[in-house]
Amino acid sequence: MKKIVLLILINLLFSAAITYGQPVRIAYLQSDIHQLPCWVALEKGFFKKEGVKVEVAGIFKAGPELMSAFAAGALDMGYVGVAPATTAVANKTARVVVLAQVNTEGSAIVVKKDGKVQNIPELVGKSAAVPGHATVQDSLFRRALLKFKTEPDQVKIMVLKPPEMIGALRTDQIDAFIAWEPYPAKAVTMGVGRILASSRDIWKDHPCCVLAADVKFLEMQLEKAKGVVRGHVKAIDFIRQHRDEAIKIGMKYTGMDETSIRMAMENVNYTPVLSVEGEKEYVDFLTKLKYIKVEDVQNFVDRFMRPEFVKEIIKK
Amino acid sequence: MGLDFLELSKTFPGKGVGESVHVLENIQQRIENGRFVSIIGPSGCGKTTLLRIIAGLEKASAGKVLLDGKELAQGTEEVGLVFQEYALFPWRTTLQNIEMGPEIKGVDKEKRRSKAMEYINMFNLNGFENRYPRELSGGMKQRVAIARTLIMNPRVVLMDEPFGSLDSQTRNALQEFLLRIWEKRGDTIVFVTHNVDEAVFLSDQIIVLSKRPAQIVKTFEVGLPRPRDRTGQECNEIRREVLKVLSEEIK
Amino acid sequence: MKKEHFLIPLVLILIWQGLSSIQVIPSYKLPSPVEILLGFKDLLILGVPPGNLLHNHVLYSLYRVALGYAIAALLAIPLGLLMGWSSGLLKMIRPLFELVRPIPPLAWIPIAILWFGIGIKSAAFIIFLGAFFPILLNTISGVLSIHPILIEAARTLHAREKDIFLKVLLPGAVPSIFVGMRIGIGIGWMTLVAAEFTGVKEGYGLGYMIMTARDIQRPDEILAGMLVIGVIGLLIDIGLRAIESRMIKWQ
Repeated sequence: MKKIVLLILINLLFSAAITYGQPVRIAYLQSDIHQLPCWVALEKGFFKKEGVKVEVAGIFKAGPELMSAFAAGALDMGYVGVAPATTAVANKTARVVVLAQVNTEGSAIVVKKDGKVQNIPELVGKSAAVPGHATVQDSLFRRALLKFKTEPDQVKIMVLKPPEMIGALRTDQIDAFIAWEPYPAKAVTMGVGRILASSRDIWKDHPCCVLAADVKFLEMQLEKAKGVVRGHVKAIDFIRQHRDEAIKIGMKYTGMDETSIRMAMENVNYTPVLSVEGEKEYVDFLTKLKYIKVEDVQNFVDRFMRPEFVKEIIKK
Repeated sequence: MGLDFLELSKTFPGKGVGESVHVLENIQQRIENGRFVSIIGPSGCGKTTLLRIIAGLEKASAGKVLLDGKELAQGTEEVGLVFQEYALFPWRTTLQNIEMGPEIKGVDKEKRRSKAMEYINMFNLNGFENRYPRELSGGMKQRVAIARTLIMNPRVVLMDEPFGSLDSQTRNALQEFLLRIWEKRGDTIVFVTHNVDEAVFLSDQIIVLSKRPAQIVKTFEVGLPRPRDRTGQECNEIRREVLKVLSEEIK
Repeated sequence: MKKEHFLIPLVLILIWQGLSSIQVIPSYKLPSPVEILLGFKDLLILGVPPGNLLHNHVLYSLYRVALGYAIAALLAIPLGLLMGWSSGLLKMIRPLFELVRPIPPLAWIPIAILWFGIGIKSAAFIIFLGAFFPILLNTISGVLSIHPILIEAARTLHAREKDIFLKVLLPGAVPSIFVGMRIGIGIGWMTLVAAEFTGVKEGYGLGYMIMTARDIQRPDEILAGMLVIGVIGLLIDIGLRAIESRMIKWQ
């Protein structure tokens, strides 16, 4: 009898040790300058300094793909657009909550440099690329159209991955695209495109990327999650105070030149503070587009967003 | 007037360098028009090669084949060939197989259809016009093959062991059938066979070839009137003689 | 189709539905049969993305496949006949094809987009690549499998090269051509859906529909879409087989 109890105890200790010792599985989006705080935290060891071991469990081409990884249980935390995260949670494919903001703004609509389209209403009947359905950029683009009294149906919206967008614009496959920085900046420095409208023209201070955590992971490893958020806040401070070094890190992770990265970062606002109002607008918008069906918006947002994490850290 | 073989020889290149297979050696023979002549010889001696040369499927290495004094042109309509394995086109019906020749020639549909139907009747193939070769018996297939050749009215009909793969009853029936057709038409028939009984029953003349390289060993005139008694004394005698010559060659 | 054939799938579906209802199988990983059915209804009526209905996705996909496939067949069949017929041509061209063939059609997507842009032309090109080789190779093998004696039979009926090509090679190779065509359309259909993953200009296509369902996190619509794709692939194959058996009555 003693032997069995001993065995069980050792087993439990062992598994606890393993789970305790296992690194936090984190993911981010490829070549998306919004994710800079993640890269800075990794490069400068901010997560490690908070006592948390982190491993990059995935680098994704767009938000929906990252959310699929959450759904499969392959991620603990992720840097992702708030729109795909909202969609996944509303459609019950992933169980995550948002612990911190990563950035606001930071996208732009790009058209051909010497092209026919001079303003948004001229997009009627033309084709435009978005990185995916139910992404932040998709929502932004439709919002821009509506703001300028154009019906989204009148524009041929198609899905392309951001790395393909510049090439497609250059060869006139599309007339416009909307993407996260640094792609708009790159299009400009390459002489291919010009910015028709940036996020602040469309929806000032709109929330963009967030730091999300798997619900089960949060329950079991609350302290680790807090550690990651602290590292994240530190990284954002660092970006504000050591811009040049941050730019270098951005260049490393996107493989792009300094001019483009510098220009890109002008368009991005890094902040850890969550915007609950902004989220409500997304939920409304996605519901109108029939991507999701949320009856009680307040309830949904309350359970989805956890501003208390960052508030606690900032207070200190 | 007839079919003449003048010093006909054929050599094939062998497997090794500089090697060659000597198949036919100095074949010299006349076959009178309208005669039924059998060619008999040991296996692999070159009987088929000889037919193929006459039909234009092979070229002689030396010598000529003449018909009524003129050299045979490639693809001439004067000569037709019936293969041992029937060689019917499996995707064509009986009717379509028979009319293949006229079709290639460009005869218009109605004419060639009615001509083909004549042959269907002649060859007792009624009821099977629209069947495919896989649905026909061996004997029927051979009749279709012969009809297909005869519809082109060649003056010389070459037949390469046409009844070789049939059972003896069917074979006998087809031999009699062939004779009836031939007697009405009067073409020259050059008939290759293994089977001495068959040769004796059918032919005016039997040419015996040696083993490779094949030369003409002996020719036999079979003067017997038709229809012949297969097991009769005269046939037996000729058969004995032919077998004697053949067995010498097979040694 | 006997009743017993449906028994096992039906039982499996019932077990699946049962396990899903009690959440042994969580619905975000694998929706239940009922949820998939409802997802199918959404595909039909609501559309994915909303407003783009299923029947339009199907039509656009079929159109792309038909275009690429038609070009593949129109090129591969004559070329295959020629390559089967001329061993010289075969030897010359074959190494080039053997080099290109192992490259998966999907690997061509970036190049296809560079050459043809994002639109039906690049999708048709990818389909073309997938369908071309099976049709070509099976056509060649179809010609090579024609018994040489059939070609000789045609020659004895005075066929010229053109006649041999049209009246012997083509009909003789038809069974193999059909095998190649069925394989080709299967690969073409599979490749199309994957090719549409990378983006379609018009906003319609079954592959694009599934990717969108993934983007908006609707696994029930994903699976319903997959079923549609499978069923259409099946129907296409059944259709081809029906045509085939009508055309190849002679086998």
